[in-house]
Amino acid sequence: MPLETFKASESLTLGVELELQLVNSYDYDLSSSANDLLELLGRKPFPGVVTPEMTQSMIEIATSVQHEHGPLLAQLREIRDTLVTACDRLNIELAGGGTHPFQRWFEQRIFSKPRFEQLSGLYGYLAKQFTVFGQHVHVGCSSPDEALFLLHSLNRYVPHFIALSASSPFFQGVDTLFDSARLNSVFAFPLSGRAPFVLSWDEFSNGYFTKMESTGVVKSMKDFYWDIRPKPEYGTIELRVCDTPLTVERAAALACYLQALCRHLLERSEPPPEEDDYLVYTYNRFQACRFGLDGMMVNPKTREQISIREDILATLRKLGGHADALKSTAALDEIERTAARDGNHASYLRRCYADSGSVQGVVRSAVEALRQGPAA
Amino acid sequence: MVTDLPFLLQSMAWPLVLLLAWFLGERLHEAWQIPRVTSYVAVGLLASLINLPGLTNAVPGLPFLANVALSLVLFELGYRINLRWFRHNPWVLALGLVESVVTFAAVYLASGLFDLPTDTRLIIAALSVSASPAGIVRVANELRSAGQVTERVLHLCAINCLVSVLALKLVIGYWYLSTSGDLLQAAFGSIHVLATSVAVGALLGVAMPALLRTQRIQERDVTLVFALAVVLLTTMSYGLKLSPLLAALSFGIVARERRVHLTNAQRGFGTAGDLLTIFLFVYIAALLDWSEAGTGLVLGLVLIVVRTAAKVVCNVGAARLSGSTERKGLLTGLALTPMSAFAILLLEQSRLYGFGPAGQVLTVMAAMMLVQELLGPLVTQRSLMAAAETHVTKE
Repeated sequence: MPLETFKASESLTLGVELELQLVNSYDYDLSSSANDLLELLGRKPFPGVVTPEMTQSMIEIATSVQHEHGPLLAQLREIRDTLVTACDRLNIELAGGGTHPFQRWFEQRIFSKPRFEQLSGLYGYLAKQFTVFGQHVHVGCSSPDEALFLLHSLNRYVPHFIALSASSPFFQGVDTLFDSARLNSVFAFPLSGRAPFVLSWDEFSNGYFTKMESTGVVKSMKDFYWDIRPKPEYGTIELRVCDTPLTVERAAALACYLQALCRHLLERSEPPPEEDDYLVYTYNRFQACRFGLDGMMVNPKTREQISIREDILATLRKLGGHADALKSTAALDEIERTAARDGNHASYLRRCYADSGSVQGVVRSAVEALRQGPAA
Repeated sequence: MVTDLPFLLQSMAWPLVLLLAWFLGERLHEAWQIPRVTSYVAVGLLASLINLPGLTNAVPGLPFLANVALSLVLFELGYRINLRWFRHNPWVLALGLVESVVTFAAVYLASGLFDLPTDTRLIIAALSVSASPAGIVRVANELRSAGQVTERVLHLCAINCLVSVLALKLVIGYWYLSTSGDLLQAAFGSIHVLATSVAVGALLGVAMPALLRTQRIQERDVTLVFALAVVLLTTMSYGLKLSPLLAALSFGIVARERRVHLTNAQRGFGTAGDLLTIFLFVYIAALLDWSEAGTGLVLGLVLIVVRTAAKVVCNVGAARLSGSTERKGLLTGLALTPMSAFAILLLEQSRLYGFGPAGQVLTVMAAMMLVQELLGPLVTQRSLMAAAETHVTKE
């Protein structure tokens, strides 16, 4: 089956998807309660979209197509409040965060939808290790070539999003020393990583994809777990490297940082992307996963080392005008505070661990952060 | 040498029977997924049938040990109760209370079909309200189940047990009043026991977390400290003639509310809990007298049907209002089937404190207890499986 045509959409529109954890209120372990929650939510209209995910202890929510920070955040808050109210009625707690700090993958149940059954059959324990929670941001593109241009121009900024969103320092009961342990699980999948360097949709669709399909390895775009992938049926590119942050406020801020960045890149004032940009890609990505904002990244164009924190702050200085135009100054302020002062949610969770002394305490902090908003 | 043989046999009977129970529990669970506790009960019943020496409540210390074992379970049950849930979803609390009252009334009325004295009928009704925490908690832990049926069964079980104790103590108070006319004795038999048991449990529930707060502590240590606290509570209850079961349940509920450290005790109190569970179920089963079981069989079956129907109807009726589905309501009602261990120990305790009719009730209810003890955990297990709330590995 050939790749479907790329449905053009309005440039710079946004859609946010969040994978959220369902935990019990007793010992804060993951709770296989997605069916119960979805049943209850199904009785009333939902302010967005809610869907089952791979395991019973995860649900995914998605916003509608948004243009600006204000309405995006408002919708995310409404979704959160609806979910929290429903969870309270069922004695379930809801939390953000890229990993559950102490779940044992072998105790998770795979959701009983045929595609998921098939995935777990194929990937074995990896499918269960995939009980990790990410934020996906869609950015609308007016043409497929614009999508590929943005996709490859963003490669040098991928470490920013990893470091800013990182919220998974604990995994299987231990501090991994990574800010984003979640991405290590994602990288284990054979079709993860970067998209091939192709800037024309025609070449991508009729060349690369057709060849891949003929190998029998993939059937659709869904089989690629790339860090950024085009989504032809929505007419978007989808950034998939972010951990689910602890708050919807941070999630909205990250989406709007991406939006402003795309607006800047579409001015084409930066040097165009090239294959050699990817020479430093996995190194930079590792630095961001491991050290978060303190990681050192190499600028693919100048080959200079700079801390990810400095690079974010430098980038923000270029985006002021775009933030004004997109009415996302508040969002970019939060990004600046995160980079310059507060740190990401991984460091927040480590502080919570130091205070409470238990991984259960870490989950409770995550539960409270989601309810209460930007205190974290 | 020869004279030592009966003594030797008697002292060896217990450990051998427990070992056999463990062995059967594992094998049958592996082969047909029979809940382990069902096998323990079966071994206990067989031991009682062939009248193994030493397996009676005449051996001092055994009832105490059984109470400790069940108190540990009740503490764990209490610790899983989330009082805030009742605020967010009052329907669950209402369901628990209404269901308890309906069960009491239905069983009382149904027992009228048989030739029984009123106080016996009242006691049977009070006991029928309860659900066995030991059976339910053990089965839920064994399956690592999670979901609405599991949550509701645990919360309803706690409410049922509280109401059951309350009802029984009131019946006992009424009995004292009607037999002796002694109001003081009556009050002592009911209100004092209820209030003081809850107070003692609650006090410990405040004190223990405060004690634990002073240091960082591992899961293993928490298990140990809470287990010792439960032993202390049981001893105190015996000394003060309180209800150890009620005290342990209150202890668990309050300790959960007051917890600072989120490190919990190991589920089921780890290996020590496993050992005591085997003992508890074998012991409880061995207490039942087979010779009485035949006579009360019809009564037992009628009461089981009435009790189960009351619980199922209430749960189905309130399912949608409380945010669940009718199907899950049905399964919740069925999962509440086990009732024996709690009821028997409660009755034993009352007899120990001088409540005459207790022994007689145990005889009347023998058949009901026997059937429910053996089949109850199985019904709970199958209900949780049917609700798809159990941990399934598909490799």
